Amino acid sequence: MFLIFKRLWQVNWAEQWQYRANLLMYLLYWLVSPIIYLAVWTSIATANGDVKGFTANDFITYYMVLLICDQVTSNIVIHTFGYKIQDGSLSGELIKPIHPMLTNALVNNVAFKILTMFGLTPIWIILFFLFQPDFSSVTLTGILLAIPAMMLAFLIGYFQSAAITALAFWTTRVYSIHEFYFALILLFSGQFVPLPLMPQLIQDIAQYLPFQLMLYYPIQLILGNLSTEQIIQGYVMTGVWLVISWLIFNWVWRKGVKKYSAVGA
Amino acid sequence: MTPTISVQQLSKTYEVPEREGGFSAAVRSFFKRKYKDVKAVQEVNFNIEQGEVVGFLGPNGAGKTTTLKMLSGLLHPTSGTANVLGFTPWELKNDYLRSMTLVMGQRNRLSWDIPAADSFLLNQAIYRIPDDEYKETYKELDELLELEPLMKKPVRNLSLGERMKCEIAVGLLHRPKVLFLDEPTIGLDITGQARIREFLQEYNKRTGATIILTSHYMADVTALCERIIIIHHGQLKYDGGINDLSKKIAPFKLIGVLMENADAHDLSQYGEPVENMEDADKKFIQVKADEVTRITSRLLADLPIRDITIADPPIEDVIEQAFNA
Ligand SMILES: Nc1ncnc2c1ncn2[C@@H]1O[C@H](COP(=O)(O)OP(=O)(O)OP(=O)(O)O)[C@@H](O)[C@H]1O
Ligand SMILES: [Mg+2]
Repeated sequence: MFLIFKRLWQVNWAEQWQYRANLLMYLLYWLVSPIIYLAVWTSIATANGDVKGFTANDFITYYMVLLICDQVTSNIVIHTFGYKIQDGSLSGELIKPIHPMLTNALVNNVAFKILTMFGLTPIWIILFFLFQPDFSSVTLTGILLAIPAMMLAFLIGYFQSAAITALAFWTTRVYSIHEFYFALILLFSGQFVPLPLMPQLIQDIAQYLPFQLMLYYPIQLILGNLSTEQIIQGYVMTGVWLVISWLIFNWVWRKGVKKYSAVGA
Repeated sequence: MTPTISVQQLSKTYEVPEREGGFSAAVRSFFKRKYKDVKAVQEVNFNIEQGEVVGFLGPNGAGKTTTLKMLSGLLHPTSGTANVLGFTPWELKNDYLRSMTLVMGQRNRLSWDIPAADSFLLNQAIYRIPDDEYKETYKELDELLELEPLMKKPVRNLSLGERMKCEIAVGLLHRPKVLFLDEPTIGLDITGQARIREFLQEYNKRTGATIILTSHYMADVTALCERIIIIHHGQLKYDGGINDLSKKIAPFKLIGVLMENADAHDLSQYGEPVENMEDADKKFIQVKADEVTRITSRLLADLPIRDITIADPPIEDVIEQAFNA
């Protein structure tokens, strides 16, 4: 099994490497909105002293950490896999004795992440010098707690996106469904603004949804803003959503494979 | 002994969304899609024993690829059962996937962007092939297919035939017991085709593997298969020896005659004239097998014949007739 992942890694890395220029463009595109939010909220907070208790530094640190968390917990499976179901190129993978979604596509995502991480690092350092955030509340414990939380949150998001991708077995409209899912993430994860700045209703809903586990929760973990009770609660939620997401993915995938029409040739 | 492949009442009906032109049709189809049923395979039955090489023939759209996709597990049938090596293919059990292969056109197992060598190594890991066995198999494949010069280039830069060679090779690395080959020689030049044929023959002899192959090149079929299965419009039309086919389907012989002043004589009273045979000097007629002697003697008596030949019709023609039977 180790050898499989090693060789999958070599292949996927080589593939992603070929597209490094595209990847850089994608990264820049993806960076635009958090950096705009960062700039806008920071200047508002600077002008007003604070926004509902959030100081300029709170905004800066929040978005700076968000850039990293989003990079770790997001995935691109819809883009790298959806078309394979539709144009029949999944056929070759489906009859190999390994699960395509849980091996190849997963490794592909990780390779993508690591490559974009290289692109992100210099940009992050530039932002660091531009905005001079005060990270004094960050502790090693916080970071160590956040790492597994982010990895699990990545899996939650991955299984959910994979389940949506697997809808391609039935419909050609998966991309719009996935856009809707993205909108939910934007609204409930804290990507837009820190959740406490959202209307109360959204905050109430958000705490039961998996999306805040992908961003808001790990950001707060890293910034050291959570009580022990909140940390445990977050991990429990992560565990529950991981199981739910896995079950949904597995169910949709099994049903979908039966529907597969293996177009082509 | 149970057969290696056994297929009962296997059927596949595709549901194809019908799209009519025009705006109002598009709006209607948004709410209620209309589907058309395409019966690609209908209640097909056959058994194949271990070690057989069977040619699977039929015109375009007959249902060959669909059948192979079901047997390899890619497609769930609409009804019917199949058993290959004791497995139901579409359950996609890993033990099954490790003991068979489906080679189907281009772009299957090889990643487009990277050299074939990397895909080969990945497949070694996926199929858990021990290093020494891998090296041995690779050496054999390389000898027959001359892979080595192709391995370092990105697959997208290979020619059609080169890619096909690599596809076949990568599909055989794990030494499958059952091979489903969908047009394995398509796009290859004459030498390439012969190479693949030779290779498959050798592989079958050496490993006792069971092979089903489809091809539109009769040379593939006559070289490799003693048995053929013909399907047309999804229905099984013939299953048996390739040599028995002409007896059963088309009990005809071809009589060729060489005569003086050939155009002056009308042969159609003796049998159905046949155009375009290889021997341009002769005129050919097709007659029923049991009338050959009678008609031959009539021809010899009536016409100024210099040479006469009696032969089986070419297998292409027989199969063509079987399609339309
Ligand atoms: N994925 C699909 N969805 C809908 N219809 C399909 C699909 N695949 C094949 N068909 C239809 O099913 C029928 C059988 O197709 P199939 O590919 O099995 O034929 P074939 O015998 O392999 O033909 P060829 O010699 O051209 O390769 C055809 O009418 C084809 O249009
Ligand atoms: Mg076909």
